[in-house]
Amino acid sequence: MPLLRRFARLCRNLLRRSALERDLDAEVRSYVQMLADEKMKSGARPDAARREAIIELGGVEQVKEEVRDVRVGHFLDTVLQDVRHGLRMFAKNPGFTAVAVLTLALGIGVNTTIFSLVSAMLLRKPPVSDPDRLITLLSTNPTPDDEANRWPASAPDFLDWRRQATAYSGMAASSPDDFTLTGGTEPQRVAGAQVSANYFQVLGVEPVLGRAFLSGEDQAGHGRVVALREDLWKRRFGADPKVLGRQVKINGDDYTVIAVMPESFRKLWLFPAQLWIPLVFTPEQLGPAGRKQRLLNVFGRLKPGMTASGARAELATIARRIAAANPDSNQGWGGNVMTVQQYAVQESNSKTALLFLTAAVGFVLLIACANLANLLVARNSSRQREFAIRTALGAGRIRLTRQLLSECLMLTLLGGGLGLFFAVWGVAVLRSALNWNEYSVLTAETVSLDGPVRLFTLAISVAAALVSGLAPALRISQRDPGAGLKDSSRSLTVGREHRRLQSGLVIAELALSLILLVGASVFVAYFIEETHASRGMNPHNVLTASVTLSGAAYKDGARQCDFFENVLRQLHTSPEVQSAAVASDLPFTFPGSARFTVEGRPVAKPEEQPSAGYFAVSPGYFSVAQIPLREGREFTPADNAGSAPVAIVNQAFARKYFPDQDALGRRLRIRHENSEGTKWSEIVGVAGNVNEFLGQDAPRPQLFEPFLQRPDPSMNLVVRVGTEPTAFAESLRKAVWSVDKDQPVANLKTMDRVVQDAGQGDDLMTGLMSAFAALALLMAAVGIYGLIAYLVARRTHELGVRMALGARRGEVLMLVLRESMSLVLAGVGIGLAVSLGIPRLVTALFSGFHIRSGWILAGTPLAVILVALASCYFPARRASRVDPMVALRQE
Amino acid sequence: MDRKQVELLQGTLDLLILKTLRLEPLHGLGVARRIEQVTRGTFQVKPGSLFPALHRMEEQGWVTSTWGESENRRRAKYYQLTRAGRRQLETETERWGRISLAIARALEAT
Repeated sequence: MPLLRRFARLCRNLLRRSALERDLDAEVRSYVQMLADEKMKSGARPDAARREAIIELGGVEQVKEEVRDVRVGHFLDTVLQDVRHGLRMFAKNPGFTAVAVLTLALGIGVNTTIFSLVSAMLLRKPPVSDPDRLITLLSTNPTPDDEANRWPASAPDFLDWRRQATAYSGMAASSPDDFTLTGGTEPQRVAGAQVSANYFQVLGVEPVLGRAFLSGEDQAGHGRVVALREDLWKRRFGADPKVLGRQVKINGDDYTVIAVMPESFRKLWLFPAQLWIPLVFTPEQLGPAGRKQRLLNVFGRLKPGMTASGARAELATIARRIAAANPDSNQGWGGNVMTVQQYAVQESNSKTALLFLTAAVGFVLLIACANLANLLVARNSSRQREFAIRTALGAGRIRLTRQLLSECLMLTLLGGGLGLFFAVWGVAVLRSALNWNEYSVLTAETVSLDGPVRLFTLAISVAAALVSGLAPALRISQRDPGAGLKDSSRSLTVGREHRRLQSGLVIAELALSLILLVGASVFVAYFIEETHASRGMNPHNVLTASVTLSGAAYKDGARQCDFFENVLRQLHTSPEVQSAAVASDLPFTFPGSARFTVEGRPVAKPEEQPSAGYFAVSPGYFSVAQIPLREGREFTPADNAGSAPVAIVNQAFARKYFPDQDALGRRLRIRHENSEGTKWSEIVGVAGNVNEFLGQDAPRPQLFEPFLQRPDPSMNLVVRVGTEPTAFAESLRKAVWSVDKDQPVANLKTMDRVVQDAGQGDDLMTGLMSAFAALALLMAAVGIYGLIAYLVARRTHELGVRMALGARRGEVLMLVLRESMSLVLAGVGIGLAVSLGIPRLVTALFSGFHIRSGWILAGTPLAVILVALASCYFPARRASRVDPMVALRQE
Repeated sequence: MDRKQVELLQGTLDLLILKTLRLEPLHGLGVARRIEQVTRGTFQVKPGSLFPALHRMEEQGWVTSTWGESENRRRAKYYQLTRAGRRQLETETERWGRISLAIARALEAT
């Protein structure tokens, strides 16, 4: 049929429905009349003739329904009918509708929220051109300390890769570093990177202003140039378009600004750099020893037609070749490639946590679906008559199923819409909670309800309709209409098949919520243990900040010592300050480590020497942090460059290396970076254990050296004050700048905050998991309550009979409770069987996780049983209070 | 039911209706009776298939309908072939000829 004509028909069919229907009715009736006329002619009596005519026709309504089926737009028409019918049903049952929509909205809302996080962390492509072809190249360690085995590359390795590999149209390296920017209002510490000249070409990012680095600019002897990121340019240079060609001071040296790079760069959290300067290799880096310094992130852009697996094989070959030529530095080292997105996902280390959250919200939605299915079954069983009549009037099975499903779909879509509103709020909560480090803050910025997330909401709304509506709908449409008409509301008990489905749903709900509760409890237990575990120090009333000295004036260790001593002296003049010290690393922040040799024991090869957490601290550090000294003494100002080397170890160290002896007086040779220590340091003190990260199972051996003997340009100030520590922040900055106004003060944080941030979002994880578990339990409780209340209501008549025959209240109460509790126990049993594996699963998937799960596996089922008991008790009690006469009369 | 009646093949009902309406406009019962008559009772067209077919053909534009008066002075809906309907009849007839020929050949071949 021509399209235009078809469209005209469609309009007529939809818009002039009533006229069309009248016409059809008249036509069929005239047919019946003419048929009856015929029969009368052949001698039938008028009423008999008419009856026969209708029988021959096969039913006026049925014929009309068949005609409607062939109309253009019939499908649309019936959909509209279903929608109208559904809306009418909802208006008639506002309570049912509200409960269904609200439950779904909660379920869909939490799913949308978590998916927005998944989408931001795992699915978003990095903001570079053709991100799937941007590859990161990694070294692999012969003796990996984790499964991922991702190592940066050394400069000679990178150059060999670039020379020999054929899979790439370009390969670039970057070496991330922090830079000090001076010359403005105040000095600033900025994340940046040294990069190869072709870095931006390889990434495929164009400057907003100016030009990318020229080839050759990363060779020694070229002028110093810098590219700024857009937001830094706006913040520090007031978005001045004349910034190009201007001189800025970086680490005390002058650089010429040549480009402004787009702000979208920051969305790629792998590259937190705000400024870039050319990567110039030193002769030392290029020498044979340079191969051991693996510090470079390497990226390559695949040539058209090249695949990642091909590139991987090629890199493996090249790495083998390098290892064979340089066994000393590269023995056993290999190469691996992955797309930048894969790398970002691995590096964010969030997959497991996201998996758990997704499973948790999935359970919540399943429980919501089970509730809806239960509601539908309950409601459908009181609509038996309606369905029977509709079937008798010519509605087919498919038509009936479709009607029920579209009612269900309307509910879930309403729920999805409302859920999206809940998710707006959920995303706001997530964003403010993602704050424990710069990466989580960057993630927070990218979490949003964007197109894909909204599509997901729509998809799960439709899926929820199918999951919760299909079984009840099929059940109804399979029934024999005659039975539906006969099986009137007079029946004393609910049909067995309905009860079986409903019981199954309640059991499933309880099992799901128990599993979820156990899962959440594991996290809560871990979190409680973590927050209440002994810190080994007192983090309250302590302010910390990091200072990294830059500039030619501080190349020398003695000058670095002078600077920090002056700052500490300055701080001590302030009346708020009780004590102050510096440390190379703060507690709970994964310190660096150092290898060492114990005097009198065989000297192992450097790679096989034992290692311990390493700190360089100033005199007084232990008293500032309130770390107890178990034996010996603290460092004093006399432990300086001119005196004999000394060290302090922690108890874990002493116990491990001097189990049966006194550690005091023993000597260690401490190895830094790649240089073998030459002097023996005497152990003068044993300090209490302080964890290196939150939730650490057993304390790790740690080693302290006096900062005056082992100076470093990058130190953390640790200041104990008598007032609120944040109020002291400005004075701390001033104290530093009074010594040198060009040194930036970064990471100003209270020690409490440092400890909290060390949780890496454990509090968020715990909060989310418990919120979801509570939601699940609440929904399951609503589900049980609804079902029991419904069943009891249906049995009022039966219970009335029982009571009229002499059953006592208590007996009726017990009867109802017994039946409901058997469902509850079945659900809890199944849930518990599955839950037994959860603690082991969690400890296996989250490194450093350790919990005692006994009380969880005992306590949570009890909680679920209690909640279920409460939701059964009230309907049961109501049933037992019913007046038998009222019950018997009730129909 | 009469043994000689056979179920209508899919698509043949349309052909029969078109053919029936070629001579003159008819109402639904008239179409059914005419088909019975010309096929000597082999095909009995039931209202359950007749009405959907007529309405579908109307939607396709092969027939149009008008209300008129029947021989017994009853109000009845008359169906009439359109130009598109005539064309459709030609193609259907030609198609049917090919099919019956093919089937006859197939049956003779054994």
